[in-house]
Amino acid sequence: MLKVLIKKQLTEVFKSYFYDAKNNRMRSKWAVAGWFVFFIAIMAGLLGGMFTALALSMCPGLTAVGMGWLYFLLMGGIAIILGAFGSVFNSYSGLYLAKDGDLLLSMPIPVKTVIAARLTNVYLMGAMYAATVMLPALIVYWITAGPTVARVICGILLFLIVTVIVLLLSAILGWVVAKISLKLKNKSFITVLASLLFIVAYYVVYFRASDMVQDIIQNAGAYGTQIKGASYALYLFGRTGEGDWMAAAIYLAVTALCFAGVWIVLSRSFLNIATASGKTGKVRYTEKAVKEKTPFGALLSKEFARFTSNPSYMLNCGLGVLLIPACAVLFLIKGREIAETLNQVFSGMPDCAAVLLCASLCLLSSMNNMATPSVSLEGKSIWIPQSLPVQAKTVLRAKTSVQMLLTAIPMLLAVICTAAVVPASLPVKLLLCIMPLLYSVFSAVSGTVAGVRMPILNWTNELAPIKQSGAIMITLFGGWLLSIALAGLYLLVGYKIGATLYLLLWSALFAVLSLILLKWLDTKGAAAFSAL
Amino acid sequence: MLKIEHLTKTFGTKKAVDDLSLHIQPGEIYGFIGHNGAGKTTTLKSVVGILQFDEGNITINGTSIREDPLTCKKQFAYIPDSPDLYDFMSGIKYLNFVADIFAIPAQERQEKIRTYAGLLELTGDLAQPVSAYSHGMKQKLAVIAAWLHSPKLIVMDEPFVGLDPKASHLLKQMMREHCDGGGAIFFSTHVLEVAEKLCDKVAIIKQGKLIKAGTMEEVKGDDSLEEVFLELEAE
Repeated sequence: MLKVLIKKQLTEVFKSYFYDAKNNRMRSKWAVAGWFVFFIAIMAGLLGGMFTALALSMCPGLTAVGMGWLYFLLMGGIAIILGAFGSVFNSYSGLYLAKDGDLLLSMPIPVKTVIAARLTNVYLMGAMYAATVMLPALIVYWITAGPTVARVICGILLFLIVTVIVLLLSAILGWVVAKISLKLKNKSFITVLASLLFIVAYYVVYFRASDMVQDIIQNAGAYGTQIKGASYALYLFGRTGEGDWMAAAIYLAVTALCFAGVWIVLSRSFLNIATASGKTGKVRYTEKAVKEKTPFGALLSKEFARFTSNPSYMLNCGLGVLLIPACAVLFLIKGREIAETLNQVFSGMPDCAAVLLCASLCLLSSMNNMATPSVSLEGKSIWIPQSLPVQAKTVLRAKTSVQMLLTAIPMLLAVICTAAVVPASLPVKLLLCIMPLLYSVFSAVSGTVAGVRMPILNWTNELAPIKQSGAIMITLFGGWLLSIALAGLYLLVGYKIGATLYLLLWSALFAVLSLILLKWLDTKGAAAFSAL
Repeated sequence: MLKIEHLTKTFGTKKAVDDLSLHIQPGEIYGFIGHNGAGKTTTLKSVVGILQFDEGNITINGTSIREDPLTCKKQFAYIPDSPDLYDFMSGIKYLNFVADIFAIPAQERQEKIRTYAGLLELTGDLAQPVSAYSHGMKQKLAVIAAWLHSPKLIVMDEPFVGLDPKASHLLKQMMREHCDGGGAIFFSTHVLEVAEKLCDKVAIIKQGKLIKAGTMEEVKGDDSLEEVFLELEAE
């Protein structure tokens, strides 16, 4: 039974990899293989590569001075933070809000099996992120220190322990959010606020991580003694990776006990939470003056309402709304200093700072991709836009406009702040203002195109289109890669033609691509949407 | 009002609707009956422009749904078999959204919302999110939204499912009044007693093909509609 439920959930997560919604048929084996290669390349190549570099920078030094345990403590800590961060936002909705809840509970399936299946889904998501840190960490350690039987087995056990800790943290947070949500009126915004605090803490740690790691490596002996003296448990955690059987046994036992405790709490409260309708009072309707809207205005308001009603949607697809203004303030305060440092580091490349800051703004713009899942989020209510007297292209334009507005407005502030402080010629400053805005338009339009091309309409959990679809993977990671390419190409060859021409060419490219894609959305995209 | 000519719709190799022709006149309540999977919903979805059909033509007051869908859609309202509305909106926001799409002036929409929500006893719940509505309440909201822009034609797929007896009775009255005022209704149902009492005309579909259509008297004669339907199904 459990196997069937897990298979059902995984099928949903990876549905777009197997099923071509546009042509209403299963993908060929080659296409499926291609999608999985792409997925693995993103996870192993991008995230895994980053953490392999981190492991290589830490492991030899710490292992040489007998502080392998500190290396595992640091890498394990990063894996737990990343894993919990990766799965924390889907644990609440994944555990309690899946649309097939009533159906499954009405079937002769033990409630504990339903919980176990949903926890397995949360576990796999967390484990996937944790693996991008832990697998490189273990492999680098085994190569550096030599792979003994104890090190390999205990290393694998440490990986399992880390993944279970990630699961426990996600499940506890999901449970807390669920309990709070039942008593709150504006639960969407409060969930977002709480999650944002978590994100802020995460980014504070992330941005200071490099300094912290360097500091720890340089003062490994002192820190090691301090940690060992103050928290022997942390020392034992690291020792597990080094192949200490006793440490591994203790951690396995403690993790198993904690899991049992969380399991008891979850299984006792699951039915109440999953079937609760909330304890907030009923809002009485009072007639108010109505402001008429145009059809486009109505569709735009609808898209905004959908976006702001769903914490998962806001958190997974709208981080740029906050990060872009935050970056604007940062650039205003520290921009000149950053620019001067960059110009010094890349002294042979004129206006390098302007181009790199421009690329970083594009990267932040990629954090907004609310247009991509909006087609899929129509779900079973897609009959509404399809049967109302409104053109499909107007529906798609409304979806695109939400992302354009939510990105372009903060981006306008960011480009002005950046241009004000970056030392560059007037044309470069002007292009520094134009290009990220054009990129934001391109990002919104291409996101809608991806949403129309790869829709998932029969989801049971909204996280499927928001977080786990092929379309969102392409737009999110594609945006990152494009931003990195923008910076990288300048450092490789772009500087030879100068920043003005370089930025002008990218601006022209984004403008032309946006127009082509807009045209596609108005014609073939609209037809595809009508036929969904 | 609604003319369906030689409608054919195929899914893969299966013909869901096969050469179906119907003509619904102003003032008529036209019932559409058939067993599960007979092709009723496919026909209704083709009429309202949700499904693209393979062959045939559908016109609403002379305008083809294929060639000018917007003009057609302005003239009808559609209620699907399962009222999957926008869960993230409140009832009143959903009604205002529909009213905005149909460009209904503020005063007119408020009057209609007041009338129909009052009639269906949904006024007190209009500020609640649709996600908190029961199936029946969603169905009532879909009915109010459908009546909001005074459509000439109303297309409904199993409209009585989920409604309480009082709301069912009211909906039947609303349907009759709508048609008495010159409108037309084309709806599918499995409740043959309701179809027999309510419909002016009825069409029976089996495996995508129209097997009988006409006035209620023509179709059932001296028998009950249920007897005729079961007899035709058995053939």
